[in-house]
Amino acid sequence: MIECPSCGRKHRPGTLFCSECGVYLPTGGPLRTEPLPDEELPVSRANPWVSEQVEETEAPPATLFLKVLATERQIRLPSAAEVHIGRLDAAHGIFPDLDLSPDGGLEGGVSRRHCKVHQRGATYLVEDVGSANGTFLNGQRLTPYLPHVLKDGDELQLGTVKLQIVLEE
Amino acid sequence: MTVDVGKDYYAILGVARSATDEEIKHAYRALARQYHPDSRTESAPTTLFHEVQEAYAVLSDPRQRRSYDRQRTDAGLSEDSALSWEITPSQSQLSSLHEEQVLYLMIEIQPATTEQGERLPLNLCLVIDRSTSMQGARLENVKIAAHQIIDELHDDDSLAVIAFNDRADIVLPNRRGIERRRAKSKVSAIWASGGTEILQGIQTGLGEVEKYHDNRVTSHLILLTDGQTYGDEEDCVAEARRAGAKRIGITAMGIGEDWNDALLDEIATKSGGVSAYIASPGQVRTLLQQRVRGLGAVFARNLELRPRCTEGVWLESAFRIAPYLDRLSPSGGVIDLGSLQADAPLALVLEIGVAQRPPGEHRLLQLELTGDVQALGRQGETLRRDISITFTPAELSEETVQPAILSALSKITIYRMQERVWDTLDEGNAEGATHQLEMIATRLFDLGESRLARAAMLEAGRIAKGGTPTAKGRKELKYGTRSLTIASRRKSHD
Repeated sequence: MIECPSCGRKHRPGTLFCSECGVYLPTGGPLRTEPLPDEELPVSRANPWVSEQVEETEAPPATLFLKVLATERQIRLPSAAEVHIGRLDAAHGIFPDLDLSPDGGLEGGVSRRHCKVHQRGATYLVEDVGSANGTFLNGQRLTPYLPHVLKDGDELQLGTVKLQIVLEE
Repeated sequence: MTVDVGKDYYAILGVARSATDEEIKHAYRALARQYHPDSRTESAPTTLFHEVQEAYAVLSDPRQRRSYDRQRTDAGLSEDSALSWEITPSQSQLSSLHEEQVLYLMIEIQPATTEQGERLPLNLCLVIDRSTSMQGARLENVKIAAHQIIDELHDDDSLAVIAFNDRADIVLPNRRGIERRRAKSKVSAIWASGGTEILQGIQTGLGEVEKYHDNRVTSHLILLTDGQTYGDEEDCVAEARRAGAKRIGITAMGIGEDWNDALLDEIATKSGGVSAYIASPGQVRTLLQQRVRGLGAVFARNLELRPRCTEGVWLESAFRIAPYLDRLSPSGGVIDLGSLQADAPLALVLEIGVAQRPPGEHRLLQLELTGDVQALGRQGETLRRDISITFTPAELSEETVQPAILSALSKITIYRMQERVWDTLDEGNAEGATHQLEMIATRLFDLGESRLARAAMLEAGRIAKGGTPTAKGRKELKYGTRSLTIASRRKSHD
């Protein structure tokens, strides 16, 4: 028999998920995103986007690029309704649209589900989806699950991984 | 002469699997002339001639041909079926342990051709709850949805509409060739009053559906209700079972929070249909439209899977994972899979228990899938596959499991955890249920399903404080975890 590393329940070999707590048995859970020490992260809060702010312009939406400052990797955001950014974890079927593992995501405190970017008219919005170490916009912490406006040149930070926003008409 | 099942003799002779003896003889003569050692050109090797001879020897003998066909089908090499499947085990080999083990099989079923065949006409009946509680937005949205369906139905479809409270009225008798304007005005005239007696609605509805029911149409009843029915639950289930036996499916849609989910689930399961939760009246339109479009896209139906286990092998559980998540219960060794839509693959996961085995290759079970592909006029299509696994004496290093299986299993696990919560709660164990709900929430957050995760946390909070779970939260979790389906790996047909 094999034992669930999380709750101790016994299972027959070959079982993949614990029926009691749902943990993936072969690894005993995901590579956890370790919380970073608080002093490494900014504390002030950014102002969330409020719906009145939306400018109903007819302007065609710009293309959004993300530039990872440490590795200089520039990624064009897929044109989907919602783009999820995080760390790929195949064992849990978590496949973010943008995987930051190659950019030091794990050490940098990026959660597997970290934040998402979506569009509203011509405006791009970013929303933290309950990440362990938070999402920061120009040094200010985002309140989780509230959208915030992205502008050209903004600095977006996931854990300690810094990205620059490039909007191209 | 030895028969090599691995070789496709039909392809060697360049004939269809359905080729007649005459066609086979003709093809052989032509090829024999071409490849005969006396007449061949320098480049054609003699092996080709031998292969042609071998193929002809087997296919020209009816007894040998039948046995060859059967072996090809068993080995999963036959490509002539209108159905295709892909079977992926969670492990390619097992360690020869001195204890029982678990193996998962993921089965994906799709049409084998892109050929749509003719669309089967729909024979549809809408059974609409018109009790007082439906008044306002609910009934209005149902009417709009019904109008939309009337517009979308084809001319050879037939439609009936029943409205029920404590009795049932035939608003629109079943007929082919819908008079759209008249049908719409009849639907618009439905008004709300009275109680809810689902049995009345189902019985009258089935009576209408049966008028045009035969195997050249897709017969289906769609029940829309927002309330509890009192005292006639058992009769409703019995009606559903009778409908299922006649191959009339029932889709049961519950609007709002106050309907009996256990009853609607059972009506749907017993008839081979589905149940759905409509949280807000605005969703009625999209859900109903999707359902009717799905019914129109049925490619194969009466699909049945028969897992035939060898000794020391048994089926632990079976779950459908696409197009929606559902627990499958085998009865008499048969798993009823309902129908396959042309545009949505059907996928399932079998959990297989395996007893201790000595090293070597062992046949664990045979899977047989049968179904009627009405659209192509083919009844009793059959696929058969033997599942064999090699047991090794050595300890196996960790194998990477296909992400698709993992993704499916992680969702099945959550669904099962959710099923257990309500049992725990019924046993009066509030503390246990709270703990289970919190674990479900953790897993849901892992999957990025934050909305459902929050619903689980809210219910956990309520139960912990000595309250009872809300009907809304319970339905949200039940139907929410059920829709956590996998994005199936699409296969192209080129």
